[in-house]
Amino acid sequence: MRRRKTLLGMVPLESPLYQFHPLTRMIGLVVLAVLPLFVLMPEANLVFLAALFVLFAYARVDISRLRIYLPLMVTVAFFMFAITVLAPDRRPDDIRLQVLGVTVYYQPLMRTFASYIRIMAMLFATIFYFSTNHERDMLVALRAARVPFAVSYVLGLSIRSAAMFLEDLTTVRQAEQARGLDDSGLSIKDKLKMYGLYLIPLFTMSLRRADEISNALFARGYTISGRTITGGPRPDYVLSQYRFRARDAVASGALIVLFVGVAALGWRYGAFQLADSPLNRWLAGALQP
Amino acid sequence: MAVAGSGAEGHSSVWELAPGEVRHAGIVHVVMLALFTGIGIVVGTFGSLAVPIGFVSAFWPGQAVQAIGGVWYGMWGGIAGTIFPFISNSLSGSAPLPVSLAYVPANFVQSMAAGWAFRAFRADPSLRSGRDWTVWIVWGVLVANLFGSFWGSNVLVFFGLVTRAAWPTVWAGWFVGNTIPSIVLGSLILKYVSPLVVQTRGFTKGYWA
Amino acid sequence: MAAVVIRDLHWRYENAREPALRGCDLEVEEGAFLGIIGPNEAGKTTLVSCIKGLIPHSAHGVYQGSVRVFGGEVRQKTALQLAAEVGMVFADPEAQFTAMTVEEELLLGAENMGLPLPLIAERLAWVSELTGIADLLQKSPYDISGGQKQRVAIASVLAMQPRILILDEPTSMIDPLGKRQVFEILRRLRTETSLTLIVVEHNIEDLAPLADRLAVVAEGRVARVGTPREILEDTGFLGALGLAAPEVTELFARLRADGLHNGAVPLALDEAVAEGRALLAGARGAP
Ligand SMILES: Nc1ncnc2c1ncn2[C@@H]1O[C@H](COP(=O)(O)OP(=O)(O)OP(=O)(O)O)[C@@H](O)[C@H]1O
Ligand SMILES: [Mg+2]
Repeated sequence: MRRRKTLLGMVPLESPLYQFHPLTRMIGLVVLAVLPLFVLMPEANLVFLAALFVLFAYARVDISRLRIYLPLMVTVAFFMFAITVLAPDRRPDDIRLQVLGVTVYYQPLMRTFASYIRIMAMLFATIFYFSTNHERDMLVALRAARVPFAVSYVLGLSIRSAAMFLEDLTTVRQAEQARGLDDSGLSIKDKLKMYGLYLIPLFTMSLRRADEISNALFARGYTISGRTITGGPRPDYVLSQYRFRARDAVASGALIVLFVGVAALGWRYGAFQLADSPLNRWLAGALQP
Repeated sequence: MAVAGSGAEGHSSVWELAPGEVRHAGIVHVVMLALFTGIGIVVGTFGSLAVPIGFVSAFWPGQAVQAIGGVWYGMWGGIAGTIFPFISNSLSGSAPLPVSLAYVPANFVQSMAAGWAFRAFRADPSLRSGRDWTVWIVWGVLVANLFGSFWGSNVLVFFGLVTRAAWPTVWAGWFVGNTIPSIVLGSLILKYVSPLVVQTRGFTKGYWA
Repeated sequence: MAAVVIRDLHWRYENAREPALRGCDLEVEEGAFLGIIGPNEAGKTTLVSCIKGLIPHSAHGVYQGSVRVFGGEVRQKTALQLAAEVGMVFADPEAQFTAMTVEEELLLGAENMGLPLPLIAERLAWVSELTGIADLLQKSPYDISGGQKQRVAIASVLAMQPRILILDEPTSMIDPLGKRQVFEILRRLRTETSLTLIVVEHNIEDLAPLADRLAVVAEGRVARVGTPREILEDTGFLGALGLAAPEVTELFARLRADGLHNGAVPLALDEAVAEGRALLAGARGAP
């Protein structure tokens, strides 16, 4: 699988997903990352997660790369359940259980489990977007959505700046190491001091660069307002290379219908909540003393 | 000390305008906004990844960047500090989009508390006097993070990520996790880089220019 | 018509004690190629920044005197007017990149001007051919060689088709091959377009054959303006400023001082070879 490195991660070089307009893909991000908010039923969010993984595979994302999120998934789970065990939000009729000599309560644990699945669903929807969209796609999407030029431009420049800052960081680190500063064997306090000292040359470099970039932008007639010499609207050559086709309209429409549908069912009619969960009902029944 | 100890040379405060001085927002401020967002993305992402507890990072240096941005570049820094967590949280996986959205007021205050206080109390960003230090520690670190962690931990409860019973502990943990790096990194950067920054044309004496 | 007229220009940077420019006068004819040379810190960058309008538009300081570009005061022009009239390429190509791909880098200026899309496409094709970067368009401007970066920087300014193009030490940060390619672009621009070119360059040997006139900047003033020959022949004047004429020029100037040569001094190797042949033939022919 050939991939292209972006600042935000790694995207496949070729993917069937790329036949969709970047705007469609961004609508996908917004819909998919927000959808689980209306859903607490773990079964529904697990189905959602499974569907996401099908999407990952369809988009030819290297699934093995998702392993880097494993530590995070584990620690978040550990943290959430530990808190629930140590400080549960109890209600009087909660089912009390003894596990390995520790008293725990079923309902708080179930709520935590459902919230955990939900946060993972939202998280992987966000990760999916950044694993399939290049920085440029993000900017094209914003411009296609008629976000003011200044906003999309500043965002692009921010991502650029992040890359430059990272590069400077490497340069400064190498320079420090060449001077014989090795951080192994330093106490935490000295390490902190040293990292603090990295930051000074780093910020100085960034400040100088900001000056140069401002000059370069001035030299090329950049205005914050996006005003042009002719007075006409600012043309967008890159955007003009993309077409919003019928399939984009269909996909975007379907996404929006999905969103409105789930939001309406969830909020207005209380669907997809924990009380409806068969798993929850079954467990509660089984554990009832 | 890299800074000559002569105090404020001649002029009373870096915030005062020279006679006849006109300042207006320009390209350089937009570039600073982008630059601070970029720095925040890197520092915020690594801060969250280094100690991967996910949404409650035990050591989040991002707030130092937020506060410094607010002090040096006013609202430009404030905007940067409000938007970079969206990206750094997504990249590090510490918060999905809706949670980031809910954090916005916290991130804004974490960025602008110091920015407001330094201007209101005419404190020197180079931290030359005890009073400057007090303004920085009280507003830039303590108040900013008390509010930020209060709001943030409530967001976690709202999303069911921590129990209400555990909220005081989470609040305290969050507060400490942001405060320590802010005191250490923030103070270092303010002290040693500010003398340079206040001389550049991007330095923002008001809120926008 | 004069493209640039500078009269008694003084400029002091806000935070500097000494002025960087202390009474500059200069005229550049439209379509001419002006080379600017001078010692370090002489004020060359400051001077061309005043033509581009970076000073005073995006710098703080004290400004006196007048800089006119095509008859209009630079101080009174807007950034957009200046962008259309004067292009500037900086010494460090990387410091002027802001986009994610070379293509977008080339587009920024043309889009800022509000050109129609077909014209932008045309310009894109023209500048990428001229500077030889057509196959780099989809790359990141940070992932290419130093010489390529500088060519991208030049192309991105040319895409705006300014009437004046300023290059501030365009070869100071790149390798010898990259240097030659930049000078080749300059040569093509000089012969194929009516662009007014202003080039600050330490590399006098490569600059002199291209320039119609050379200006020597020293201590914040334009110390002398003349044809390359007029300027380079006076090796004593250059030497006093710590500048060196090309070695061949130096050689013949010394021979002339010793009475061994009495023609014009050559400015480049080819000329020197011809002169040298004549000199030697003369010597051999002597009884
Ligand atoms: N932004 C600035 N702020 C304050 N002083 C400056 C600034 N830029 C340049 N100077 C000073 O102005 C003077 C002229 O500098 P300038 O960069 O124009 O010289 P230069 O001839 O281009 O030198 P070089 O050959 O090193 O590029 C120098 O004394 C320099 O220190
Ligand atoms: Mg210079």
